[in-house]
Amino acid sequence: MTSRLTPYLLIAPLLAFIAVFTYIPILTSANLSFREWDFLTDAKPWVGTENYRLVLSSSEFWNSVKVTAIFALISVPLRLVLAIAIASYLVREALPQRLLRGALFLPSVTSTVAIAVVFSWLFATDYGVINAALAWFGLPKVYWLQDPQLALWVIILVNTWKQLGYDIVIYIAGLQAISPDLYDAADVDGGKRFHVFRRVTVPLVMPTTYFLLVISVIEAFQVFTVVDVMTRGGPAGATDMVVNLLYRIGFTLFDIGQGSAIAVLLFILLIALAVFKARVLGRKVHYEA
Amino acid sequence: MKPEALWSLAALAAGLIFLSPVLYTIWMSFLTVDSYYAGTPVLTLDNYRAALGEFDFLRYLLNSLLVSGVVTLGGLALAVMAAFAFARFTFPGGDFLFAAVVATLMIPSHITLIPNYLTLAKVGLLDSYAGLILPAISNGFAAFFLRQYIRGIPRALDEAAYMDGARPLQVLWRVIVPLARPAILSMGLYIFITEWNNYIWPLVAISDSDLYTLQIGLAKLYRENPGEDVINWPLVMAASTITILPILIGFLAVERHLVRGITMGAVK
Repeated sequence: MTSRLTPYLLIAPLLAFIAVFTYIPILTSANLSFREWDFLTDAKPWVGTENYRLVLSSSEFWNSVKVTAIFALISVPLRLVLAIAIASYLVREALPQRLLRGALFLPSVTSTVAIAVVFSWLFATDYGVINAALAWFGLPKVYWLQDPQLALWVIILVNTWKQLGYDIVIYIAGLQAISPDLYDAADVDGGKRFHVFRRVTVPLVMPTTYFLLVISVIEAFQVFTVVDVMTRGGPAGATDMVVNLLYRIGFTLFDIGQGSAIAVLLFILLIALAVFKARVLGRKVHYEA
Repeated sequence: MKPEALWSLAALAAGLIFLSPVLYTIWMSFLTVDSYYAGTPVLTLDNYRAALGEFDFLRYLLNSLLVSGVVTLGGLALAVMAAFAFARFTFPGGDFLFAAVVATLMIPSHITLIPNYLTLAKVGLLDSYAGLILPAISNGFAAFFLRQYIRGIPRALDEAAYMDGARPLQVLWRVIVPLARPAILSMGLYIFITEWNNYIWPLVAISDSDLYTLQIGLAKLYRENPGEDVINWPLVMAASTITILPILIGFLAVERHLVRGITMGAVK
């Protein structure tokens, strides 16, 4: 029979892991962000807000904030616009749509490292496919990943190519929840295809758009892998995202205090976004068909 | 040809063009390095032989399978037990504890990076399988998703089993788990894929190359440039293919599963 302890015993293992590897670390990060420490010494002297002062006055930090913000501002709208347009064509449950959906979705479940390696080859200066194609048209070779003006665009392209399928699948689920009657009604009204898309589809999937908008911005601020493999933040900091900076300060310079301060600042920003999401999705933007 | 078939072909072509970087990667992995640079394809399996043997990718593959497998099984076990408790029992603090589990969905993982490194260093688990596995085991999303699913299973089934004298763990194992199998399978897939592709944590926790996962091994291989003065791209592409392939095969298997589900529904 069940005892009063049963539910606690059932949840105890999960909660123990969450406490040790998620909740306590948040407190540890906050604590370490007020101390000076380099892994090597035993002493971790309390330095107050010194680490925050150093981080907030360093051009490296603001550069990474700027780069990450540009990345988010361009890649998120780009992904959403492409995804909703493609999803409105792929919403039917017929063979052609299903085939294309599968192909578009595939990159989002494959290894980011492998994708980054493959695109490094596509955009390689010598023997890369893109430059080979340019040469075929008689154009000079482009230093895609070595040119500070271009490298971030390549990173945006790779991220869009990889994540697009996920956005499409979420939009399709949103679109399939819209009653077909609405489309029929729009057809009867003699609506042109683009008109129906703009006046019926886009407003009705607004909740999906909000959801994707917020989670993609949160995700954009955590980008690390593509950059680490393709450019390591270079050239000259042109692709240096916040998490890449955090990794470098924490695990190559071993400045635990400043690394933790960056982690805490980013944490506060992302939690604010998550709370905003919960608020907005909780109340507004619910169209009932 | 019927228009439907034509559209299918067009969709297939568009999909193949979209996936062409991956497809070309696979093709390239079968070329000799000399023939790749000369532009006259000569096929070979040597890149796979070198990647799996000399460059240790067989070991990395087994490491990835072991780590992702254990994280999936352990993560599912913890999530299913907790989901059962949250779905079927009312107990003091239950709502609060459930909220604490769901809140982990909002917590970005980078905040735990330095502290988890320090925790594992303190107990001597850096550079170990346990160090790769333990921080990845708790999965708030799986617990949340399974709790929602279990709530949809009629309670009368549990009650019948309790009448027959079953204990809670028996009810969980004999009644809930079989009925929640589709949800458990899809969560298992989700955990496995996430862990398979995990990069930043193994990068931080592992420096012993015997413990590299595929992601770390591939990034190192690419960076350390195994070519003489030009990159040995065919070798790097064989390693990339090895890294992608298990997920690709799994994906195709699931897609077929979905298609079968849809066609069976249409026949009925």
